[in-house]
Order: sequence, then C-alpha cells, then structure tokens
Amino acid sequence: MPSWQDFQPFLVVGLALGGVYALSGVGMIVLYRATGVLNLAFGAIGAMGALIAWQLINGGINEWLAYVVCVAFSAVLTLVYGVVFGPPLAARDPLVKAAATLGLALILLGAMDLLWTSNGGAVRSLTLATDSSTFTVSQIQINWTQVIALALGVVITVVTGAWLRYTKLGTAMRAVANDRQITATLGVPVRRVEAAAWLGCGVLSGLAGLLLADLVALDATTLTWLVISSLAAAVIARLRSIAVTLVAGIVIGVVESMLVPINSLTNYADMTPFVLAGVALLVVMFRRREITVSRGA
Amino acid sequence: MIEVSNLTVRFGGVVSLDGVDLRFEQGVCGLIGPNGAGKTTFFNVLSGFVTPSAGGVHAFGEDLLAMASFRRARWGLRRTFQTEQAIEELSVFENVAMVHEHSKLPSASRRREVLESISFVGLAADPSAKVGSLGARDRRLVEVARTVVGKPRLVLLDEPAAGLPDDETEHLSSVIRQIPEHTGALVILVDHDMGLVSHVCGVTAVLDFGKQIALGPTAEVLRDKRVIDAYLGTEEVA
Amino acid sequence: MGIGEGGHGGQAPGAGQVAGVEEARDAGQALRPSSEGAARGPVFAISRVRPETWVRVAAVTAVLAFALFAVPVILSLYYVDAMTQVAIYSIVALGLGVLVGRVGLYSLGQAAVLALGAWTAARLLFATSLPFPVVLLAAGAITMVLGTVIGLPALRLSGLYLALITLMLAGAITVVLSTVNFPNGGHGFLGYNGNLIHIPPIRRPSLAGSDAAYYRYAVVVAALMFLLVLWHVRTRPGRAWAAIRQSEPAALAAGINTTRYKLWAWALASFVTGVAGGLLAGSAHFLYSIDFPIQNSITLLAVVLVAGAFSLWGAIVAGLLLQLLPALFQNWGVSSDWITILFGVGVLQVLTTAPRGLADQVPKDLRRLGRLLSGATRRAAPSRTGTT
Repeated sequence: MPSWQDFQPFLVVGLALGGVYALSGVGMIVLYRATGVLNLAFGAIGAMGALIAWQLINGGINEWLAYVVCVAFSAVLTLVYGVVFGPPLAARDPLVKAAATLGLALILLGAMDLLWTSNGGAVRSLTLATDSSTFTVSQIQINWTQVIALALGVVITVVTGAWLRYTKLGTAMRAVANDRQITATLGVPVRRVEAAAWLGCGVLSGLAGLLLADLVALDATTLTWLVISSLAAAVIARLRSIAVTLVAGIVIGVVESMLVPINSLTNYADMTPFVLAGVALLVVMFRRREITVSRGA
Repeated sequence: MIEVSNLTVRFGGVVSLDGVDLRFEQGVCGLIGPNGAGKTTFFNVLSGFVTPSAGGVHAFGEDLLAMASFRRARWGLRRTFQTEQAIEELSVFENVAMVHEHSKLPSASRRREVLESISFVGLAADPSAKVGSLGARDRRLVEVARTVVGKPRLVLLDEPAAGLPDDETEHLSSVIRQIPEHTGALVILVDHDMGLVSHVCGVTAVLDFGKQIALGPTAEVLRDKRVIDAYLGTEEVA
Repeated sequence: MGIGEGGHGGQAPGAGQVAGVEEARDAGQALRPSSEGAARGPVFAISRVRPETWVRVAAVTAVLAFALFAVPVILSLYYVDAMTQVAIYSIVALGLGVLVGRVGLYSLGQAAVLALGAWTAARLLFATSLPFPVVLLAAGAITMVLGTVIGLPALRLSGLYLALITLMLAGAITVVLSTVNFPNGGHGFLGYNGNLIHIPPIRRPSLAGSDAAYYRYAVVVAALMFLLVLWHVRTRPGRAWAAIRQSEPAALAAGINTTRYKLWAWALASFVTGVAGGLLAGSAHFLYSIDFPIQNSITLLAVVLVAGAFSLWGAIVAGLLLQLLPALFQNWGVSSDWITILFGVGVLQVLTTAPRGLADQVPKDLRRLGRLLSGATRRAAPSRTGTT
C-alpha cells in the first residue's frame, strides 16, 4: 500500500480531471434541461477543437490564439448542429435526440482520423502554456493547468447556477427546461434560449477538449469517449442538479486517479466512472415508484 | 361497487386529488369537472400508474391499490385513454384478444368471446384488418371492445367521444349504456360532452381542484349551482 | 457477390404506413393473414397459406441456398472470411433490432455482450472438449443469464437512463476485459497465461475446420437464430412487445406484465448475441481485448438504426454494412474512416426522416418508383381504352 506521499500527485491530477468532468457534466446538463438533448458528441467536438489548436500551434500560430480558435470552433459547431438538427427532432423522445448526437460523434471521429491519421506511430501531444508554470504546496508540485481545470469546474458550476437563477436569460432557460410550450406562449424567445444553451455547451466542450488533451492525451478516440466519464457525473446528478455534478465529477476524478498507485487496483481505475454511475442508478431505481404515463393519457 | 375514501395525490407542491370520497354502486357513472380537476389523475390512480399519498380504493370488495398495475386488468379493470392506444400494427382481433389473453382467461372460448365483443360495439370492420388501416371511429370502437371482452368488473372510459362527430357519439353512447347490463361491470365515464354524460350516466360525481364537490343523480348534479360555478369560475374580487 | 446468408422474414406491403410484417418460413407456423381483404381466418392457429407467402419462402430459400453453396465458390477466401463476419454480426444486429425496433429499448453496450459471449465460448473451448454446438448454446445461455441479471433491475429505468446504464456497463466490461484478457489456453478461472509463447488457436467444430466450411456453419447458425427470433415476433411475446412499444401504460392497462416481456426481449437479445460471440471465437483463432473497443457498441447501434431495427432483413443489411463494407474498402485502398462518417450521416438522416431505416425505406421507395413507372407507362400508351 503506497504512502500518503505517493498518493499526493495523484490527488492533484484527480482534482484537475474531476474539475473537467464537472464542467463537462454541467454543460451537458444545462443543454439537456433546455433542449432535451443529451449531447453525446460533447467529447468529439472538444477533441476536434483541440486537434485544430494543435495544428495551428504546430504551424506557428500564437498558442493563446489557438486556444481561442478551439473554443470558438467548438461553440460554433455545437450551435450549428443545434440549429440544424434541433427543430426536426424537437418533438422526439430524448433517446432519439441523444442517438442523433451519436451520429455527429461518428462523423467527427471519422473526420478526425482522416485528417489527423493515427498511423505512423507519431504521438501528438498538446501542452498548454499553463503547464510550464508550476508551484509547490508542501512538497507536491502543481502546475497551473491543473489549477485552472479544477477552478474552472467550480467556477463554471457556481456561475452557471447563479446565472440560471438570477439573470433574465437564465430564468428563461429554466422555464424552457420546465415546459417548452407554455414558456413559448409566455412570449419567451424559445429558439434563442435554446441557441444560447447550445452555444454555452459548445464553449464548455472546447474548454474541456483543451484541458483533457493536455491532462490525458491528444487522441481523437480517447478524448471522444472520455465523455462517458463526464456523463457518469451527470447521471449521478440525475441529469438535474449541477451542484451534485460538481461533487460527483470531482469524486470520480479523484477516486479514479487515487486507485492508480495501488498495484492490485491499477487496472480497474478506469472503471471508476462506470461503477459509481451504476451504483447511483441502482439507488435511483429503488426509489422509483411511479411509471411515466404517456402524454395526454 | 367502488368505494374511494380520502384519496389524496401530491406531485411536488401540487395537490392533484385532495381527500376525494366517493361511492358508485352500479351502472354507468359519470365523473366530470373542469380541466385540471384531477379526473385523469383519478383514473391513473385506479390504473396503478400513480401512487396516492393517502386514501384507499375498494372495488367489489377488494383493495385495488394493493394490486400491481398489470394485475388489475386480470382482476377486471379496463380502461381507455385520451390518446389512441389501440396497437396499429396488429389486427382488430389481435388487439381485443390480447386483453383476453393477458387476463388469463381460458383460450378455448377466446375466439368466440373476442368476436362477440367486436360485434357488441358494432364494429363492422374485418377482424383481421390492421388497426392502422382503420379510421378514428373504428379505432375508438376497438378500444371499447377491449374494455368489454372477458370478465370486466370496472370499466374506465376517458373521454371516449372526444373528436367524434355527433352521429358517432350517438352510437357510442348507446354502446356504453349497454355495457353494465351486458357484462355486469361498473362503468366510470369521464367526458366534457354534457349531452353524452346526461344521456348515459345514472349518477355523476364532480371534481374541482382535486376535491369532490357534488355526487348524485346526473340531472340534479348538472343543475347544481356549485357545479356551474366550478365550470364558469367565480372570482371573488376583494 | 451474395447478398447475404441465412435469414429471412420480409416486408409485407402493408396498408401503407405499417411495415415489417414477417411471413413465416413454412406452413408449420402460425400465419397472419394480411390486411388486404383476406378471409377471416383464426389468427392464433394454423391457417391456409397465401400465394404471396410461398413466393416469399421461395425467395428466402433461394438466398439461403445461394449463400450456402454459391458464395464460397464465387468469392475469394478474403471475402468468404468477411461474409463469415457478416453472418456473425447479423445475429448481433438481430438481437439489438429486437430491443430497439420491437420494444424500444436502446442498448449502447451490445458489443460488450458480444465480447462476453466470445470470452465464455473461448474459455469453454479451451477448458473442455464439449462439442462446438454445445459450446455455442452454453455461451448463449450464460450470456443470457448475465443479461437477465443485469436487466432485472435496469429495465425499471426509463429509456434514456437505461441506455446510459448499458453504456456504463459496456465501459466497465471493456476495462475488465483489457485487464483479464481473453482465454488463450492458460489455466485457472480466467484461462489466461500471459507468459505463453505458443498460443493455441481457438478450436473449431470438427466438421467445419476450413474457412469455407466455417462460413457455412456460421450461416446455418445465423439462420437458426433468425428463426428463433421470428418465432418470438409472430407469437405472444411479439404482440406484447408491439403493445409496449406503442404505449407502456396502455399495455399495462391491457394486463401485460411489461417488465416480464421487456426482460424476455433482453434475454433473447443476450442469448443470440452470446451465440454470435461463440461463432466469433471460432472464427477468429485468437481473441484480443483490443478488438472490442467501446466504440463498437456505438457503431452497432448506429448501423442497426440505419439499416432498420424493425425488420429482420434490416439485420442482414446491418451485418453487410458492418463487415462487408469495410472489407471492400480495405481491398480498394479506401480508408475505413469514410465508413464511420457514412454511418454518422446515416444515423442523422434516418432519425430525422426515415425512422425505420433503410430496410423499410428502400422497399417503400422502390414501390413508389414502381408506381410512378407504371403510371408513366399507362399515360404513355393512350391507345388503351383506359378502363383498366
């Protein structure tokens, strides 16, 4: 059993990862509540943004500009998808809407593999500018990327919560999430509210893409399916509470990372999000007593 | 005979049913009230889709709430829904036979009983025709046929005449009127068509804001001032 | 090139909007008279067979015969191998089709179930000398039991949550598999020995050792699985599933124990997928966990949606898309990434316009085309007295 000293760096990494899971989860939940779409392409969009940033940096562009391009790209792509595919699927089951985003994910995966082929063995990596600034806290070395990751997770959760509660657009979004039709009759520009949700989700996916590319790996497939870990956090929050998402995301990140130094459990560390989400769902199941009656019945 | 005592249903902060007491003896009984009064919630409690926060339902001497929702059909609970629920890709015969089958009734008499129900409701369509190919009126009749097949004890009809033109409502009302005599079941009818309700129902209960505000012979209930106020909505301006 | 192997069931030209009525393969099964004014025959018993059914049966038999006898002769070994995979994945698509198309349950983890079946079969093939068919059945049964155990609590969740839990499970299984590895002839429960230098290949059935023979074996097994599913669809579970898919509350109100029937669909899908896993083990010689990434489950769902989850033909189309298309592309030197993109586009197209997929849409389009053409020919021949 490793000592506390050995765990410390993993704790730091875990907190950073957890922050990213949290901010991704929040992005997905806000979009889900506003539009009914669980954006399973969240990871793929961010991955493509990160690859574009990498490409630009490699081509000599200023890295901060590249980061902005990444976030902007992710935001625009998500918005375009939402505007084009949101309306025709608006009346369908959430399951169908989520399945449609899988279509987008596959398109992006194929495109990424084509544009940035993974053969030839060349491993790409994205090192954010903030990686190089480090500091030490009681003998643990922390770099600014990790701090930003955790901070963003917390900040975004808090800010989003406040924004939803106190601003006009945020309140409108809560209303739309509650009941789209009634809200429309109240004169709320539902389409614009939904567009805002799509855009916000896109921005977060760009940020998450950058951070995960740095913290984990700049690999299209890995980054795309890392969305499942963020999804786990959102599932634990019943696709509802962003506060719970924050806590869940961080717990997942920390537990996952802290298992790594334990020799017998290293290989199972990756299972953490799935196990935790599974347990949470079991709890949900045992609480449920009502069956949803179909509309109009 | 069905007896409902102190039935209460709360969804979050909303009280859908507020201590509803009522008792229907037999025949066709109406359940009316303005929109949002709790009528469909009431049916959903009877069907087992909603668990009440308080109260009980006893029908024909048995505690309905103690049964799992799908078992109530076997017991004899039948129901139609506001939206069409007949299965489009199956035939008329199969739709009606399904209820008979899942009520665990003997298969020997199934064919005869199913065809009987189909003719009882006056459905002229070919029993092997797919429901998807039928018009609204025939689909509604298929649903009614599903409620009378086998040994129904309690038949819940949720706005069966909605969207039907007058002459078809006529036909439907005469079918509904005959259900208690034909099957021995008690029928509860929810509808907004007061003509239909007064034509068909011997007694009627009225719900408003989840409370029972009237119960008695239909003609009297429809003249009751409280009922009229509930529909028109009296506002006390302070 | 053959259009596929065993598998049948067809699309009846229904009264327009309802597609996918399967006709039985032979008169020994209960038949459903079509809606086109057939006589009022009893539905739940054997009735007389309509001429349309015989044509259908003949067509399916012809396809099956072609697949079994002509394909291995016409195609090179490379493609025969691909067709074996087509057969295997058609079975998986069949199972997923039952879940998605018939009951409305989305599973985002069927590739993991396939891996479970393959693992079980490989373990049994190494550890015992049970005959291959018995191993297939055992793999199917064990996978079915595991699926049922998971399904029991999971099926009470609503659609989206259920899909997510299958995704979580698939993720967990993938991780476990990469740790535990596939059996390679080692000892112990896991049957894996990391130090083995000469790994024995997974054995095949005694009469189907060669690739061509194994292909035929796979086709026959696939045909049996299709029959099994067809039998379910045509009888009580199929009708109950139709009711559940239309509206769960109404199904409950009709007395259907929806949990039981959903579980039944789940068990059936797990069983056939487990059997497919067994076939996969035999076909592959060696199995590696890297061959079962989580993306496969997603692609599987995507392709099943595109090909048509409701109809049995759709499962065959899905198998072709999943395994023949990549083989073709690889042979032609085109990157298979284009296929991934194609599937993504397909999913978007299908979900926004043709909810029942290619297998439903293409026959409809062909029929529409046929009607257009016959209309055009009628107009182009004014010499007819127009009383037809």
